[in-house]
Amino acid sequence: MTTDVTTTSESVSTKKATRDIYLPPERKKVTGGGNPHIVAKNFSIYYGDFEAVKKVSADIFSKYVTAIIGPSGCGKSTFLRAINRMNDLIPSCHTSGSLLFDGEDIYGKYTDEVLLRKKVGMVFQKPNPFPKSIFDNIAYGPRLHGMSDKKKLLEIVERSLRKAAIWDEVCDRLDKNALGLSGGQQQRLCVARTLAVEPEVLLLDEPTSALDPKATAKIEDLIQELRGSYTIMIVTHNMQQASRVSDSTMFFYEGVLVEHASTAQLFTNPKDPMTEDYITGRFS
Amino acid sequence: MSSRPVHELIKELSQVLVQISDKVVGNLYNALHAVKHQDEQGARQIRIVDHEIDVAEVTLEERCLAFLALQQPVARDLRTIVTIIKINDDLERIGDLAVHIIDRMPEISQEMLEFFSFKDMGMHAGDMVEKSIKAFISKDRMLADEVCALDEEIDVMHRSVFKKVTALMKSPDSDVDQLIAALSISRYIERMADHASRIAHEVIYLVTGEILRHTGGFYEKLIGSINTDNSSEYHKGV
Repeated sequence: MTTDVTTTSESVSTKKATRDIYLPPERKKVTGGGNPHIVAKNFSIYYGDFEAVKKVSADIFSKYVTAIIGPSGCGKSTFLRAINRMNDLIPSCHTSGSLLFDGEDIYGKYTDEVLLRKKVGMVFQKPNPFPKSIFDNIAYGPRLHGMSDKKKLLEIVERSLRKAAIWDEVCDRLDKNALGLSGGQQQRLCVARTLAVEPEVLLLDEPTSALDPKATAKIEDLIQELRGSYTIMIVTHNMQQASRVSDSTMFFYEGVLVEHASTAQLFTNPKDPMTEDYITGRFS
Repeated sequence: MSSRPVHELIKELSQVLVQISDKVVGNLYNALHAVKHQDEQGARQIRIVDHEIDVAEVTLEERCLAFLALQQPVARDLRTIVTIIKINDDLERIGDLAVHIIDRMPEISQEMLEFFSFKDMGMHAGDMVEKSIKAFISKDRMLADEVCALDEEIDVMHRSVFKKVTALMKSPDSDVDQLIAALSISRYIERMADHASRIAHEVIYLVTGEILRHTGGFYEKLIGSINTDNSSEYHKGV
């Protein structure tokens, strides 16, 4: 099993150059200067005694789309959820090593989880709008952070819905219940709700697995639109989706980060035989 | 590790490619034989086989494109299908060049053919094609490298023919049409070797994932060879 190829921050400059070879020009523009936004160093996650994620070291680059792939139970969602401390809700869950966001330890003693989750938003597998109006769904986060000016709230709602490419579909029914929207619209609403608090990172945990192909295409288009503005991480079982939307891809197996490389490289010439076997369906 | 239907399909497409290569190489050797013996019947047969190669090439390409669209292969599978498509194209062109040799048959005498050792040159090119396909089947990087190196020998032979033809053309009683036909045949065989070399490069891509075309000091070699030629011509003039 080889270690990741673009992961340690010590040799960012040389590895960035290697990675950029595989990027088409339009993707080279969105590297955000190639700064690692999230850095994992020997980061492990345990459920009780069970080590679900094993000593992962990786750099997640700013304004990049990073896909996480791997078989069920390999730790990819656990790793994703660790980035905004969603795993804190599981009592037996604890971590070791370090996971840094903008240079600060996510699991540090003085980390404010609420502030962290404002900066690191998350969208889940199943759309989960609140049983409220479309407007209130989007305004919920800003209100929670103290925003009460109605004019400003309206601006935020419109901007967020526009960014999530759903404004045109809902602009004349903002007072209607969000649960009345289609599944695909609900998922884009959830993205808009996350964007309303102006996060830096978007975590998407299988965001299209409950959607039909048309709605899936809209979410994928949305990811392309948001690329370059946000650091996006997406867990997906759909490898074609990973190859379509992401700049770099991480392959996890049994809690180990087997390979982390540019998506173009990983899907044309993976370095690790295990990655090759998984993505070509030769896994026994 | 169990073999899935999709991987069986890749094997099948590879086998079709090998069958096409057998026909192409066979046609090349037959073309050399037909030209040597001025065999009209053999020449007709070569054109028929070339048509079969053309049909097989299109069919294989269609199957590969359907595979890409329907199976969306990645990694080794993707490289294999892309390699098959590219080798398929090279083989079809080699097949066309064999027919071009036949087209020159009425214009060239047996003596001229022997004078330029076209049989050796053609056998050498055929050997390169066979080796490159063998390298594809066995995914043999070393053998692919060997094929690339052999290309240089054909280039030397071609340059030698070129020099002989230009020297002979200076003679007032030279048969220019026949010499041009000889130069063309030399050029066709040299092009065949180039295609074999391209196939070898595709095999290297298949094995390593690296595209090596236009690397390895090709440009420097080219400039070097031009300078050498110019300087020897210059010295001759002096």
